[in-house]
Amino acid sequence: MAEEKWVLMVTAQTPTNIAVIKYWGKRDEVRILPINDSISVTLDPDHLCTLTTVAVSPAFDRDRMWLNGKEISLSGSRYQNSLREIRSRGDDVEDEAKGIKIAKKDWEKLHLHIASYNNFPTAAGLASSAAGFACLVFALAKLMNVHEDPSQLSAIARQGSGSACRSLFGGFVKWNMGNKEDGSDSVAVQLADEKHWDDLVIIIAVVSSREKETSSTSGMRESVETSLLLQHRAKEVVPVRMLQMEEAIKNRDFTSFTKLTCSDSNQFHAVCMDTSPPIFYMNDTSHRIISLVEKWNRTVGTPEIAYTFDAGPNAVLIARSRKVAVELLQGLLYCFPPKPDTDMKSYVLGDTSIVKEAGLERGGEAPQEIKDKIGSQDQKGEVSYFICSRPGKGPVVLQDQTQALLHPETGLPK
Amino acid sequence: LQISLGTRSITYTLGGASRENFLMAAEKWVYMVTAQTPTNIAVIKYWGKRDEVRILPVNDSISVTLDPDHLCTVTTVAVSPAFDRDRMWLNGKEISLSGSRYQNCLREIRGRGGDVEDKEKGIRIEKKDWEKLHLHIASHNNFPTAAGLASSAAGFACLVFSLAKLMNVDEDPSHLSAIARQGSGSACRSLFGGFVKWTMGSKEDGSDSVAVQLADEKHWDDLVIIIAVVSSRQKETSSTSGMRESVETSLLLQHRARDVVPKRILQMEEAIKNRDFASFTKLSCADSNQFHAVCLDTSPPIFYMNDTSHRIISLVEKWNRSEGTPQVAYTFDAGPNAVLIARNRKVAVQLLQGLLYYFPPKSDTDMRSYVVGDTSILKEAGLDGENSVESLQPPPEIKDNIGSQDQKGEVSYFICTRPGRGPVVLPDQTQTLLDPETGLPK
Repeated sequence: MAEEKWVLMVTAQTPTNIAVIKYWGKRDEVRILPINDSISVTLDPDHLCTLTTVAVSPAFDRDRMWLNGKEISLSGSRYQNSLREIRSRGDDVEDEAKGIKIAKKDWEKLHLHIASYNNFPTAAGLASSAAGFACLVFALAKLMNVHEDPSQLSAIARQGSGSACRSLFGGFVKWNMGNKEDGSDSVAVQLADEKHWDDLVIIIAVVSSREKETSSTSGMRESVETSLLLQHRAKEVVPVRMLQMEEAIKNRDFTSFTKLTCSDSNQFHAVCMDTSPPIFYMNDTSHRIISLVEKWNRTVGTPEIAYTFDAGPNAVLIARSRKVAVELLQGLLYCFPPKPDTDMKSYVLGDTSIVKEAGLERGGEAPQEIKDKIGSQDQKGEVSYFICSRPGKGPVVLQDQTQALLHPETGLPK
Repeated sequence: LQISLGTRSITYTLGGASRENFLMAAEKWVYMVTAQTPTNIAVIKYWGKRDEVRILPVNDSISVTLDPDHLCTVTTVAVSPAFDRDRMWLNGKEISLSGSRYQNCLREIRGRGGDVEDKEKGIRIEKKDWEKLHLHIASHNNFPTAAGLASSAAGFACLVFSLAKLMNVDEDPSHLSAIARQGSGSACRSLFGGFVKWTMGSKEDGSDSVAVQLADEKHWDDLVIIIAVVSSRQKETSSTSGMRESVETSLLLQHRARDVVPKRILQMEEAIKNRDFASFTKLSCADSNQFHAVCLDTSPPIFYMNDTSHRIISLVEKWNRSEGTPQVAYTFDAGPNAVLIARNRKVAVQLLQGLLYYFPPKSDTDMRSYVVGDTSILKEAGLDGENSVESLQPPPEIKDNIGSQDQKGEVSYFICTRPGRGPVVLPDQTQTLLDPETGLPK
């Protein structure tokens, strides 16, 4: 009787990622196969991550999942596909200390409890499904002793959410579109790890949005169906940019990195505009941030800051170096000051050491040379808060039991 | 009495004055023409040149001419031997004519001048005289230049048209359009009323890059046009530099010009011919959006539309979807202003009600300065009384929140108009912008 109540658990942490050459459009909606390659930068999970605890027990009577404390349904095809693919690859597992032994064939019948938590708001448009599905697949793979390498795991994560496949690695990651029908070659590979280019600092401006945004899934489907520019982008433009971006990353060529990143972000949004009905993810605040960066780079003469936007108004700014990042933060806080009753600690999150270096704990004034780089900004934009981060590592198992999201005895959320 | 002064030969009637006076009087005659020209809005867009000097485009374009009663340029052109140099005044302010666009237009038109005789005034000008005679030009737009309502198109079209009348140029409107084109590309389309196509042409000298009329303004007179003049804080990128940057940096532009626009031109011509509003709408909206997409694909990116523009698009898209068949088409030029084309008057009234609900005037604004142009539509919309805006209900079709009624001040004002006629001479002397005796601005 006691044996039927054991609970075996694994807790993992997975980063999110931001594409610099964008994925937008599928050639296969069921297997989630894209119409072009994409490249991303993995963000430091210290600042933005998904934590997932997966538990298995003969006492569980059905698969259940809790996301940010709320129970959700696993009946959708994305969850079902991921679970099926992972279960079929499970192997024997033995925990001698607890006296648990699971045979390969048991995975089909055993039920799972899954609890997942994002340390950033889901509504902030910060690619929570990417981190979420990557974490789910990674954690289950660890639990079930799956022997696949991260690229093979990425093909499973991909079926939960396309961009999730890129969160199976740290640093700079490429998602190969593949050409097989079954999608077995549509996998992520690591181009360079997080230490390769660790000068880079990433500042995210979380922009207030009044609009409910079009979901990526339906948006990209509408683009595929109605944009007359999309196929040209996928066939003629992206392949060339992919090669150039791989070179730029390899050589730490920030100038090329910036030109490619900004162009590709803009072209992705151009294709959204070319969709019927048109999709507008960026708003006036997003545009003002772009103007700020474009002017800055022009004033300096050589690019110091790259920008990219996903399917929402948030700006992801990548600074060439810490020095530039400090200046950028000063400039951003000058243009987008917090409301009078806002504490700086809740206005700039993540790597807050940068706030100190910028002399901004008490809301200091930006130096004149920063103001010159930005030009006159006659309109306050609406930024909810900033997150300071950097390129980061891939998924890891968390050994510390206090971080588990499920109770080790009941397998229910803590 | 015939007097030769150098190479000039002028005939006039004596009135008993001295010989000196005759000579003075002879040199002081002023001959003038005043014309009115409409502006136009492209529904298949021109964006990108293959030749910057001759202003030759990378693709065809199609436009709707707007009623000059509501939006127009009036230009008076005057010639006199007393003028010592070419001069121009735009909206009361003197401007330079030294730029190549003005020089090209003036040269082309002068080169085609014919003989002119005004028997009443005793003025006779020969073809060869035009080279040496100087011009005074005064032009006035009845809409603000800064409102982004294509004032150069109307302006250059009017300049060319009025000079052609003054100089008795024997060219048809399409030939004249090739001259106006060299002042401002889209000006060529303002030489006609109704629906106009600017054929890109293939010759290097641009002689086949001309405008032709597809249908006149009566062809589809159900249509009502409402323009939302959107407040813009930004100084916008000029069309000229913007489209050059797009040609140089957008990887999507050439594909648009070669593979997308040619088909759309054919489809649009069909839609206009058949008064097929559903197709007209799909094409207008898609082409406006693709033009702005190419601007976004430019380096650095160009944003002409703003959040207000997007909200208007959202409103229209939702409406059309809820009705099942398109009721309103939208198009935006190189600025945030929305040009909305309603299928018929009934739809236009509903549209105006919807727009005023979502974009009410500031409390101190008089409705008469908030909705201009064809204001008869205000009555039909029940909006000409005081407090009428407060009594507006949200349009029943649009349940979703476009944004609540908090968008005061986002739209500066609305203009109600319709498809309109082409350029005309204004015979009424009170409308001239130059004094008939001095040739200087009134």
